Amino acid sequence: MIRLGQYLPADTAVHRLDPRVKILSVVALSMMIFAATWPEILLISLFLIAVIRATRMTPVQALGALRPVAVFMAMIFLVHLLFTEGLPILSLTPLPVRITREGLVRGIYVTWQFAGLVLAAAILTRSTSPSDLVGGIERLLRPLSRIGIPSQDLAMMIAMALRFMPMLLEEYDRLRMAQMARGADFTTGSIALRTRAVSSLAVPLLLSAFRRADELAVAMEARGYRRGPRTTLRELAFSRCDLGAFAAMTAFFLANFVLRMAIR
Amino acid sequence: MIHVENLTYRYDAGEPDCLRGIGLDIEEGAHTALIGPNGCGKTTLIKHLNALLFPRAGTVCVDGMMTTEAASVREIRRRVGMVFQNPDSQIVGMTVEEDVAFGPGNLALPSAEIRRRVDESLAMVGMTGFEKRAPHTLSGGEKRLLSIAGVVAMNPRYIAFDEPTAYLDPAGKQRVLEIIRKLNREGIAIIHIAHDMRDVAEADRVVVLDRGQVLLTGTPAEVFERADLLIAVGLDGLPQEGGS
Repeated sequence: MIRLGQYLPADTAVHRLDPRVKILSVVALSMMIFAATWPEILLISLFLIAVIRATRMTPVQALGALRPVAVFMAMIFLVHLLFTEGLPILSLTPLPVRITREGLVRGIYVTWQFAGLVLAAAILTRSTSPSDLVGGIERLLRPLSRIGIPSQDLAMMIAMALRFMPMLLEEYDRLRMAQMARGADFTTGSIALRTRAVSSLAVPLLLSAFRRADELAVAMEARGYRRGPRTTLRELAFSRCDLGAFAAMTAFFLANFVLRMAIR
Repeated sequence: MIHVENLTYRYDAGEPDCLRGIGLDIEEGAHTALIGPNGCGKTTLIKHLNALLFPRAGTVCVDGMMTTEAASVREIRRRVGMVFQNPDSQIVGMTVEEDVAFGPGNLALPSAEIRRRVDESLAMVGMTGFEKRAPHTLSGGEKRLLSIAGVVAMNPRYIAFDEPTAYLDPAGKQRVLEIIRKLNREGIAIIHIAHDMRDVAEADRVVVLDRGQVLLTGTPAEVFERADLLIAVGLDGLPQEGGS
């Protein structure tokens, strides 16, 4: 059975934080990472490590979060390493490229930025249940409803998409089995042949998704869903801890900013 | 009381009517079974009871409110709960408790009240302890119980069940029937669509639909007397002794 997101329930301070604080922190952290200069890199790295530890993620798990993007990270590192002009430190003679000092520095920097962003997001999704995440996004977007952006509808759509992903996967499996039972072959033959075999699943899958969406809309109506004010089981409320974390994060953000000004 | 009078409906213009002049009264607290062959209009009929469909002719009136009055729709939907056939496409929450909270949330109840109703409803169907589970990790029977809890949480006075025991194993069936009995004992009127006549023996009243019309109505004993008619429209599971 697939698991959505990397959420892992645990009782840590990070888990308990209000999702809004966490989402805003990730946004702030991303901005800092994008604009970071060398001393801040150290500071942000230490901060990330501290939060990872507070979330009770092991180093292996933290590196695991980077695995899906490892190839991409290697690629951006190499591109910067090989194609940056500057002081050559190593030439790979038969090849028309050489490694420069600037390239090495740039490569490390950009790779660090990327890893930092992914880790920040990983901490968020690991410590926040999907429903809290959606609830947090909804509350943060709520001011936008004044200019006509329906934040509750948006949140409902995100929640629905998350809810239906596993169901569609199950449906896909079911259809595939049903076709295999009648002699379809998805595992042998050329890639073109296999692609065609799998694409024959797309139409029934789409049809069943539409049918389900229809049924769901009726069921939601039957349970009184409509546009307009509704309440939820868990109303988000800032606790003292949340305020503390929010203040700390703001201070960190400002300190970063001041540090940069001072260095400049 | 739900009062259905001369209800006529068709899905698309040009198609024949799938409900033709149905008249039906559902008393408060009663247990009404609705039976009939596939495609006879049972599901279409119950969708009229909580204003999901509107009659082309005739009226549906819930506790004095017409389903066609836009202002009443919300209250009608609160009073008449609906448990559909396929639990998968009526579960909307990302966790069990959030799904049960969906209906009360739509009624804009305060969080503490939602919490209370969620706990009560889950206890009612015997799913306490499942609060944080994701719906796709539940078994078919558990999903069915969850879909019932979601409706119970709205405190309805009537609940329509569309083949609630379909696709369940015997133990699961018994569990669902026991819950229906319990709800009925608490004073909630039950409208129960069934295929199997054995499931309807304990109803106060049985309504047999055929091709969009009420063919027969009466106590289970009275209806089973007319076994010839029931067999003619293709129903089975008849008790041997004509009634119970």
